[in-house]
Amino acid sequence: MAKVVVLGAGVAGHTCASFLKKKLGKHHEVVVVSPNSYYQWIPSNIWVGVGQMTIDQVRFKLQKVYDRWGIVFKQARAISIHPEGNAETGRGYVTIEYTDEQYAGQTEIVDYDYLVNATGPKLNFDATEGLGPDKNSLSVCTYSHAAHAWEHLQESIRKMQNGQKQRFLIGTGHAMATCQGAAFEYILNVAYEISKLGLSKMAEITWISNEYELGDFGMAGAFIKRGGYITPTKVFTESLLAEYGVKWIRRAGIYKVEPGVVHYESLNGEMKTQEFDFSMLIPSFTGVGLTAFDKSGADITDKMFLPNKFMKVDANYTAKPFEEWTASDWPTIYQTPMYENIYAAGIAFAPPHPISKPHTSPNGRQIFPTPPRTGMPSGVIGKIVALNIAEQIKGGHKEHHHKASMARMGAACIVSGGFGSFDGLGASMTVFPIVPDWEKYPDWGRDMTYSVGEAGLAGHWLKFILHYLFFHKAKGYPFWYLIPE
Amino acid sequence: MGNYKIKAYYDEAYPPVPDSTTLFWRKFVPWQIIRFFILNFKMIRIVAGGHS
Repeated sequence: MAKVVVLGAGVAGHTCASFLKKKLGKHHEVVVVSPNSYYQWIPSNIWVGVGQMTIDQVRFKLQKVYDRWGIVFKQARAISIHPEGNAETGRGYVTIEYTDEQYAGQTEIVDYDYLVNATGPKLNFDATEGLGPDKNSLSVCTYSHAAHAWEHLQESIRKMQNGQKQRFLIGTGHAMATCQGAAFEYILNVAYEISKLGLSKMAEITWISNEYELGDFGMAGAFIKRGGYITPTKVFTESLLAEYGVKWIRRAGIYKVEPGVVHYESLNGEMKTQEFDFSMLIPSFTGVGLTAFDKSGADITDKMFLPNKFMKVDANYTAKPFEEWTASDWPTIYQTPMYENIYAAGIAFAPPHPISKPHTSPNGRQIFPTPPRTGMPSGVIGKIVALNIAEQIKGGHKEHHHKASMARMGAACIVSGGFGSFDGLGASMTVFPIVPDWEKYPDWGRDMTYSVGEAGLAGHWLKFILHYLFFHKAKGYPFWYLIPE
Repeated sequence: MGNYKIKAYYDEAYPPVPDSTTLFWRKFVPWQIIRFFILNFKMIRIVAGGHS
C-alpha cells in the first residue's frame, strides 16, 4: 500500500487528489493537507466582489467530499519537508500544524511515499507598504476579501447616489504582481454595475498596472485574430476599457498605499501619486514559506526552493537574458531534481523565468508582471502529476508518460464584463501556447489557428456555465472526470 | 468656453471602440448562440492540446 500526501486543496491540489484517488482506488492512501476547510473556485470571487454571488456560491466544505471519496483530510498547514526522514527513519515525512478549532496549534508528522506540493501562493501584501484589506486597499483574492470589497463598493455606490463623486483605482498593487486578468475582470464588472445604476458620471474609474502595455497579462501579451486583422491584446484590452469609460496608468510600480492615495514609480523613474476613494489592488505572490531538512537535520530549503519560495522542478533555471529564453526552459513533469518522489503542482512550482520581458526603472526598481499560473494550467498540471504518480505506483516503474509544459499547453480565458443572461458580457481569449515559442511560431510567437478574441453574450454564458461545471467536477458528482480542467 | 471635452490626445482616445452594429451583434441572441457553440469548440480544442 502506497501513501501519497498532497499539500494544498486549491485547483492544482484538489484536482491532483481527485485523480490520484480515482486511479489508485481503495488499495492506496491519499492524504490532503490544507489549512482551509473549504474549497473555493477563485475565478468566481469577482462576482462576490460586485454582489452578484454570495460566498457560499463559490465554496464548499472539503471534508464531506473527501469522506465520500475515501481521501484522508487534515485541516492543517504544512511547515517543513523532510525528504530523507531523520536519524530514526529513512522514510520521507512532512510536519504539519492543525488549523481547525479542535486541534489548532497541534503538530503532527505525516510520512509519505510520494509528496505533491500544491500549496499555492502566499498573498504577499507586506511587500507593499500599506497594501491589503487589513490596511488601505481591498482585494478579491479570497472569497472573504471579495465580500469585504463588495461592502466597500456598496458604500461608494451609496455616496454616488447621494451626489458625491467617487474615484476607483483597480489593478496591481506591486511592481512585480501578477494576476492582471482577475483585476481586469473586476474593473469591468465594477464599471458595468456603476453604469447599470446610471452612476457613470459620478465615477472616475482608473486601471493601474505594472504591465509595459495593457493586455500583457504576465504572458508577454498575445496576438489575436479580430475584425480581419491580427491585433495585439493591447488593442483588445484598451478597447474594452475605453468602451467602459475607464482610464489607465501602465508601467506603474506601486510601493506604498496610504489612506486614499497610492505612491508609485513609473518605468521612466518618476515618483507619482494617484488618489482614490475605493481601491482593489492585487498583491505580489511568493511561495508559502515551506522549509526543508535533510536526514542530518541540515536546512536544505535553499536547495529545494528559489528565493521567491517556490519549489524547483524540472525546469532550466540558468539565468539568461530575455532574448535567449526558450520553450524548453519550462518544466514538463514537475518533479523536483533532488528527490524523485516529490512534485510541485500549480502556483507552487518555480517558473524558470518570467514570460513578460523584464524592465527596470532608472532607480533600479523592476516593474513587470511575474508569470501567471491560473486555473487551467494549474488543473492540468495537477492532473498529469496525479496520473504519473498513480502509474508509477501501480506499474512499479519510474517513467512519466504524461507531460504538460506551459510552453506546450494553451489557455482559455473568459473575462466577465457584466452579469446578466441577456445584457452581460464576456471577453473570451484563447492562446496556444501560454508561453510564446518564437522558434516554432516565428511570426506571432503562438499558433494563430487557436487564437480567439471576442466579446459578447456567448462568453458570458460560457463563463457562467463553467462556474457550475467546475463545481460539479470539484464536488465529484457523476462523470466529473469527463469535464476538462 | 464651450461645455464639451475634446476627445483627442489622451490614451483613451486611441483604441477602437465598438459602434452600434457591433454592440447589436454582441447581444443578438441567435447570433450569440452560434458563437457560443463555436467558442465551445475552440476552447475544447485548446484544452485537448494541453495534455500529452
